[in-house]
Amino acid sequence: MKRAENDSFSRCHPAVGIVFFLGAILFGAMIMHPLYILASGICALVYYCLLNGVKGIKTVAVLLPLVIVIAAVNPLFNHEGEHVLFQIFGRPYTWEALIYGASLAGMLVTMLLWMGCYNAVMTSDKFITLFGKAIPTISLLLLMVLRLVPNLLRKIRQLAGARKCIGRGAGEKSTKRQQAVDGMNVLSALISWALEGGVVTADSMKARGYGTGERSRFQIFRMTARDIVLLVLLGTLAAAVIVAIARDGTTAEFAPVVTAAPIRGLHAAGFAAYCAFLILPVALHVKEAIQWHISRSRI
Amino acid sequence: MAHFEIKDLTFAYAAAKDRPALKDVTLSVGRGEYMVLCGRSGSGKTTLLRHLKPVLTPHGKRSGEILFNGISVKQLSERDQAAKIGYVMQNPDDQIVTDKVWHELAFGLESLGCDQKTMRARVAEMACYFGIQDWFHRDVVNLSGGQKQLLNLASIMAMQPEVLILDEPTSQLDPIAASDFLNTVRKINLELGTTIIITEHRLEDIFPHADRAVVMEGGCVIADDAPGRIGKLLYEQRSPMFTAMPAPVRIYYGAGGTGESPLTVREGRRWLSDVYPDGAKINALPEIQLPETDEEPALILKELWFRYEKDSPDIMRGVSMEVPKGSLFAIVGGNGAGKSTTLKAICGINRPYRGKVRVFGKPVEKYRSSELFSRCLSMLPQDPKSLFVKKTVREDLEEMNPDKEKVMETARLCQVEELLDSHPYDLSGGEQQRAALAKVLLTEPRLLLLDEPTKGIDSFFKESFAGILAELKARGITVIMVSHDVEFCARYADMVSMFFDGQILTTDTPQRFFGGNSFYTTAANRMSRHVFRHAVTAENVIELIRLNEGGGE
Repeated sequence: MKRAENDSFSRCHPAVGIVFFLGAILFGAMIMHPLYILASGICALVYYCLLNGVKGIKTVAVLLPLVIVIAAVNPLFNHEGEHVLFQIFGRPYTWEALIYGASLAGMLVTMLLWMGCYNAVMTSDKFITLFGKAIPTISLLLLMVLRLVPNLLRKIRQLAGARKCIGRGAGEKSTKRQQAVDGMNVLSALISWALEGGVVTADSMKARGYGTGERSRFQIFRMTARDIVLLVLLGTLAAAVIVAIARDGTTAEFAPVVTAAPIRGLHAAGFAAYCAFLILPVALHVKEAIQWHISRSRI
Repeated sequence: MAHFEIKDLTFAYAAAKDRPALKDVTLSVGRGEYMVLCGRSGSGKTTLLRHLKPVLTPHGKRSGEILFNGISVKQLSERDQAAKIGYVMQNPDDQIVTDKVWHELAFGLESLGCDQKTMRARVAEMACYFGIQDWFHRDVVNLSGGQKQLLNLASIMAMQPEVLILDEPTSQLDPIAASDFLNTVRKINLELGTTIIITEHRLEDIFPHADRAVVMEGGCVIADDAPGRIGKLLYEQRSPMFTAMPAPVRIYYGAGGTGESPLTVREGRRWLSDVYPDGAKINALPEIQLPETDEEPALILKELWFRYEKDSPDIMRGVSMEVPKGSLFAIVGGNGAGKSTTLKAICGINRPYRGKVRVFGKPVEKYRSSELFSRCLSMLPQDPKSLFVKKTVREDLEEMNPDKEKVMETARLCQVEELLDSHPYDLSGGEQQRAALAKVLLTEPRLLLLDEPTKGIDSFFKESFAGILAELKARGITVIMVSHDVEFCARYADMVSMFFDGQILTTDTPQRFFGGNSFYTTAANRMSRHVFRHAVTAENVIELIRLNEGGGE
């Protein structure tokens, strides 16, 4: 969370964030071209590490071997393709199946990384800023649920702790049946507690005029000129990518031989636009870091 | 014109028609007045407060009239009452609706449909006034109890109410957070002129600032006067509410004072200085010595070290203590100092990574769980509600021990016989505390651990609770209690320990312990320390004053 606050892109208006992540995730799911996947993968990886620091690098260290495993395992089940590398269990292990597996795994991991970035950048309040007007009741409900979940978890711990201290909780020696009975007891107490809390919350809402008329919404995020520029930029780049997709510049075949659309001429422009689109958050982050470095060295 | 005018209000809940919760209440609250409403739990304070805000008014049969600015509250539009009458409730957690601090501040304004510009200005203003700007962007989950309650207050003040009604707002807070909160309320009253109507148990912090105190009992107003004079009325009526008065008031009338009483420690000191300009002849009570015993202590802690996670700081840094058998042992200390953690370590819930815990001479880890928590050790948690899992108190008690005789006997001891068929959540704070104690006692512990047993309980319940503790002590049960409540510890504990920086610093009898401290001590001691030595409770001071009077004749 701390790192996301220091990230320049995270401080943009939520509209910029949602356009970016929609683009990154939708394009990522549609395009099977290995180079496109590679580009998206690199951008996602770098941004994810920038957002999550050491913890991010650790996650990535787990995900990368996963790509290799999926890529290596795929040819065991998929035997299409002309270039046979070797025979295993009496079946052909083909180059095409290996590349297909790698692309698929790359796509999967890239999606996971982008979702991870989404989680760090698009916090619940940003989501509600965007959709609160369209679905006012549901958005309020959503954020109340968001509050309820950690509260319930804390309460479960409290109940279990209290019961343990009078020797009633599920201890190390208790049977499955005892554990089930105790679980039910805790659950029923939890429900009473949540209902009672709900009554107070309802009173507190009524006391502050909830339901007395049209609600307005407090906008914590302000759309600045910079946000508009970024939106236009993202829109233009996305349009260029869409053109490339429409002109079959992003297609790839994996059987019988690997054939991907060549990155030349107009298609090269499409690919460049795709890279530019995806690198934007990293670019903003790096730009800011450099600016700070310069202004500090001037002091 | 009065701000609120209550005329002959009588009200009975639908469930108890023959027992009115309010009887002929007539009150008027002036504009900008700071009014304290006091009374035992169940005396009708909350019911009365809820009548002042129509959307919160309970259902039932009522007669009489309530006027707000000369108009009946029933005729107020919903928006008007939302904006003009602010209401803060007891539980800091449940009152919060949204998940972010800034959103909570804006919630009321959003409901009223304010425009963006007004909202921004008001939210910014309130955040500054209440010192919230540092945690403006935080998630509500990460706030402390005191911060949460301050946020509740700020989000109501953002609507700029004319009247602020507070229903025991600090009962769930620790003393420091509570007095911060009450200071803020006072500041609002002084600087913004907002009318304040508050119910509260911690009268020491409020009385000096309040304009008026109203005492309720059984749904009636029994006294209504300036705080300086209300004590006299209550003393003369022998009202049980007198025990809830601040220490200077109790001492003043207890020692036979007449007229207006001192309200603060400062005033109390001045009064005592006037009475004894040359010092008192008898300036100390005989010291209470604990009988020396060779018996094995009930509990020994030796050099306990503990932290929750590998990388987190140590919470316990070499805790050592010995608790003699059959004593009431109190541990006091600041917030988050590690007192509750220590209790959990005694239970074996937290495993210290260094040091020894011996319960009745046997290392705690040698006990089997079933052995330890039956006829040996038991703990009453801070929130008594977390012990209740059934629909009635009876079922909850029988969960511990199916023997009906035993259950009845324990219920009698804890004074919860009449509550056996109620739902545990319907009880008041003090009743819940006693029911939870009954549940814990059914494990027949010889060593009882109490975590903040007096939190949110009024003085009347405290006394009956202390009575139960005395009875337990007479049966030879050792009680260890962790508490913020200095007054309670001073009055009832045999030994007091100070917990600071992960260690037990000093242990002594309350007399010497509090007598030696100048800040961390009771109001009675702070008020009388320049005249008497080691007088820590109001009773001590009164006794000394009486002795001096007797000696002077």
